[in-house]
Amino acid sequence: MPPFRDDHILLIAPGSTWTLAQLGLPESFTPAKFRIPSRMFPGIEEGQYLPNKVHELKEGQELVLGNGDIVTAGPGGKPHKKRKVGESTSKPSTTTQTTANGSGATSTSADGTDKKPAGSAKSSDVKDDTAMADAADETEHHDDDGEEEGRDEDDDHEMNGTKDKDEDGADGKLYYDDDFDEEGAVWCLEQGRIVNWECFFALLLHVHEQINPTFHTPILMISQPCWTCTDKERICQFIFEKIKVPGFCMMDAAAAISAAYGIPNSLIIDIGYEKTDITAIVEYDIQELGRTTIPVGGNSMNKHLQKLLPQLSEDEIEQLKHSSICEILPAGIPIPGEEDVERDDLLLPPEISTVGMGGILPPKVLEEDEGDGQEEEGVTNIAAIVASGKTQEYLAKKEKEKADKKAGLAAGEKKLPNYKREQNSFFYIEKVHDQAIGGGKGDTAEDHDIEQMDVDPVPAPNEESAGGAAPTATDANAPAAQLDTNLDPPATSSTDAEPAKPGPSLLDSIFSGTKDDGDAKRAQEKALRREEKKRQEAAQSGEKRKEIEVGTERFKAAGGGILEAIADAAHRVVSSVDDLSKRSDCWDSLIIAGNACRLKGFKDALINTMVAKYQVSPSSGTIFTSELPSNIPTPSGTGTNTPQPTTFNSQQPNALLLQAAANNAAAAASHHHMSSTHYAQTPTGMKLAKVPEYFPEWKDAGFEECVFLGAQLGAKIYFVADQGQSKGFVTRADYNSQGPQAIHNI
Amino acid sequence: MASTPQASQVLPSTTKPAELEYGGDEISALVLDPGTNTTRCGFAGEDTPKTCVPTYYGIVPDPDVPKYFGSLKIGENAVNTVIDGMEIRNPMHEGIVENWEVATEIWRHCIEYKLSSRVEEHPLLVTEPIWNPLKNRERTTEVVFEDFNVPAYFLVKSAVCESFANSKPSSLVIDVGHTFTSVTPVVDGIPLRKGSERTPLAGQHLTTQLRHQFGELGIRMAPWLMIKAKATYTDLTNPSPLRSRDYGFQPHKSFVEYQQDRFIHEYKESISETWPEPRSFPPDLNNIPEGFRGLQDKSYEFPDGYQRRFGLDRCLAAESLFNPSVSPKPFTGDTPKGIAEMIKDSVDHLDADIRANMLNNIVVVGATSLLYRFNERLSQELTAMFPGPRVKIQSSGQIPERKYSAWLGGSILASCGAFHQLWISKQEYDEVGANIIERRAK
Repeated sequence: MPPFRDDHILLIAPGSTWTLAQLGLPESFTPAKFRIPSRMFPGIEEGQYLPNKVHELKEGQELVLGNGDIVTAGPGGKPHKKRKVGESTSKPSTTTQTTANGSGATSTSADGTDKKPAGSAKSSDVKDDTAMADAADETEHHDDDGEEEGRDEDDDHEMNGTKDKDEDGADGKLYYDDDFDEEGAVWCLEQGRIVNWECFFALLLHVHEQINPTFHTPILMISQPCWTCTDKERICQFIFEKIKVPGFCMMDAAAAISAAYGIPNSLIIDIGYEKTDITAIVEYDIQELGRTTIPVGGNSMNKHLQKLLPQLSEDEIEQLKHSSICEILPAGIPIPGEEDVERDDLLLPPEISTVGMGGILPPKVLEEDEGDGQEEEGVTNIAAIVASGKTQEYLAKKEKEKADKKAGLAAGEKKLPNYKREQNSFFYIEKVHDQAIGGGKGDTAEDHDIEQMDVDPVPAPNEESAGGAAPTATDANAPAAQLDTNLDPPATSSTDAEPAKPGPSLLDSIFSGTKDDGDAKRAQEKALRREEKKRQEAAQSGEKRKEIEVGTERFKAAGGGILEAIADAAHRVVSSVDDLSKRSDCWDSLIIAGNACRLKGFKDALINTMVAKYQVSPSSGTIFTSELPSNIPTPSGTGTNTPQPTTFNSQQPNALLLQAAANNAAAAASHHHMSSTHYAQTPTGMKLAKVPEYFPEWKDAGFEECVFLGAQLGAKIYFVADQGQSKGFVTRADYNSQGPQAIHNI
Repeated sequence: MASTPQASQVLPSTTKPAELEYGGDEISALVLDPGTNTTRCGFAGEDTPKTCVPTYYGIVPDPDVPKYFGSLKIGENAVNTVIDGMEIRNPMHEGIVENWEVATEIWRHCIEYKLSSRVEEHPLLVTEPIWNPLKNRERTTEVVFEDFNVPAYFLVKSAVCESFANSKPSSLVIDVGHTFTSVTPVVDGIPLRKGSERTPLAGQHLTTQLRHQFGELGIRMAPWLMIKAKATYTDLTNPSPLRSRDYGFQPHKSFVEYQQDRFIHEYKESISETWPEPRSFPPDLNNIPEGFRGLQDKSYEFPDGYQRRFGLDRCLAAESLFNPSVSPKPFTGDTPKGIAEMIKDSVDHLDADIRANMLNNIVVVGATSLLYRFNERLSQELTAMFPGPRVKIQSSGQIPERKYSAWLGGSILASCGAFHQLWISKQEYDEVGANIIERRAK
């Protein structure tokens, strides 16, 4: 019996928006190679699903694609013409847009570079898949074309977002694949639950066909916690009977995350698109009974932002959320321009936030945070510096520090940090190609960069002069912010199109005029060049950019009870852990995963919320003087009732609490033959679990999708190391003898 | 399931997998254990239930909904969500179902939530308390066959399950649950009505007593969902201001109480303790005899941040289970007998020839029996009461086995081969009607 090989294992992790997949386990585990949207489109025939939207055109009909292209079906069913909406002067573009993407239709493309020559696009087309993912009959009805080549290139097509023409029917009808049109898409999972089975199976087939593994490829699928046993049986049946795999196993998402971290006891908070799964893991064992799924996720934040910013479109909200200006401020930092009524940090031990920052955020953001911190420090000291007459030295020092950093950051630092500005803007990139396929991470990184540099900088001299004039730094913010809005006309309305940033040269001149710091200037120029380049690239790839300014709403993405809901559910889950002694272990290694927690500051905010509400505060020296119960315990022989100063950690835990626990354990041991032991109230501390460091590929990608890392680890163990010795997966023979229920026996 | 030697084989990659489909049709049975606090459900043959949902449900008044004059909120998340006007209710009364419409919905939720979206495919085993009247048993049968449309069904007394879960065909089952503490003699798998007793001195009683005790102390019992953050203080006369969350409405009183139960439950788990010796607990805590051996203090922090050290008073509520006269909150009507006395009554009712056997096989189950030192106290009480025969208490050290004992016994029963002849099939129900339960399962 040939064993399974590392490179012959297919991993699939279906999610509500993205399905992650990968064939083979690389030497060092990597983030998923394929990110496929978890949606299919109803096909031409009833019950058929296709990975792309297919338009049916009669002769002479015109079709406006999701990316703004127009296709006309010519005689004989051949696609006649393709042109850009921008070119078509006869049609007002607003009326022809078919998707929400087009809401900013008035934004005129600045130059001609974004118009791809229609002919080249077409000629470069290879016959596309149309991977007839028909779960019912698997018919492939486009064989007549004889254009089957390029099946392996499907993936690349998907990735690049090039458009593909579909076959032309014999009856003069044109079927046209539109990669960009999301209209009519069927999303097969909602809140993790499978709502449309046909579509889900079609998606699985599509994934399988795209990757096209050998016969001898077992599949490991990440199962959502909310899938019922019947669901799993159904999937198992489908996998064996349609895909015909030699081995199959399902790994619970929480188990995978736990495996990725390799911690025996943990509390896993997996925040997805529309749901959050909260699971306690005790001794690597999922606490099935207490686990819960709450209907709160990344989309709840979108909805909340949408409520706060009704003038923005859904897409704009989404990009705002991904932009660097959208963050959740740490406790203690007031939302600019607002009275600090909401937040108080009386109880929050400072190390919590640092743990969160240092432990989890990707290096880049971390650096930026440091930058912010520095900036803050600088700003608060300005008055003193000015007073002491060392302004020049200070400036020089500061510039030098900045110049050491990356150009982008240097440019970004010429402004007030985001958290001090009442208004800030980001560039909404209207994607002409489908933003998402394959490049989710790259895109966000790109967005990030762009916004880093494009957020209109306030010239440092202004800031500092304002700082010098005003006694405190916070006072300085207001004038600076005003000035900033003067420089840049606010572009709040969504129809206001700004093709490019108005005055880089102006800013540049200000900088070079007022500062003779060559380093800074170089950095600035470099940044501008880079930005220019980026803009050109963007233009070439057909992006339209639009600056949108938002107010303090950007700090409130997680408002509206989202954090509280998650915190409360987490508390319930831990409270349902039977073994009291394990509860504090769970609290001590929180794992917050899922893509929704990429939002800057989200994890810290969540932990702060939980700490503020549920952590048993260990600080209280006053407990000795406060009302003691009438029967003061007689000191025990060991003298353990004498309060002693303990140096447990910097949080100054209640020594009594610890002693009480210790005493009880001792008492239980000495007095009782019953095995039950007694524990004190939990949690006395909460912290994030440490991210494993030995997976370099994951560092850049962030650990939010660590469920996939766990899947790889699991696959390695189940399929390669163990080879079915301990029944880690269902083999074909198992399935033949036991049926779909075999999935429960592993 | 035993696997054949061939089962572990993996087909070679060159061979196309056989088209052979499986022939077996072994659908596993479901076991449903409806309690007043939670309803448990899972597959027979497993060792813990898969779901455990609160039997409490929320109802949001809505005159447009004709059925309940409101929309039902069922499930862990729903009942813990703050909704304007939502009232928390319970379809059970005295351990048996009172509101059948809602109970059916909760059972359905419990089954379909995580187990199976196709309830009609699985045989269903339901547990019932021994005092379940005929009317209710018939109703259960109707619900199971008419609403769930199950292929086969059986109703088992939970005491029998609990006895089996502790691998004893004959035992005196003491179930310290949420609403009732019950004593049921089980002989060779048959529960005896004679000698079975129950008392409301159980989990709910503890909660009521603790609520009263906290109220007397003047503690603001703001539950977690009502506050934004803690503000630690230890001086009740000078509390720090309550940082409450403003929802724009006042949640229903029953909801607040339900949320209070959450931290009272935590208190029960971590702070409450049973005084281990019978009759030595000081009747008046303000007047403790000289030289009385105290207890280690334990500190508890309430959700609003109030920290308090509890000493002997943390035994008070648990003491009232055995000695109801010390209850912080006086009983309305007659004061019931303590748990130990009730057991004595039960044993006294038994035939003399099985008494020794029963006392030698006492099984203690139920989540409230997890109270620290509860079993020790019970053992001491019973030994003092029955000095002659050997009293032996058996109680699992595993917390889940104690909590889900009735479910576990049901799971063992339904998965054992001999049980298959007991199932009442849909066909039999169609022929006879709901009364079949009385004929087939006494």
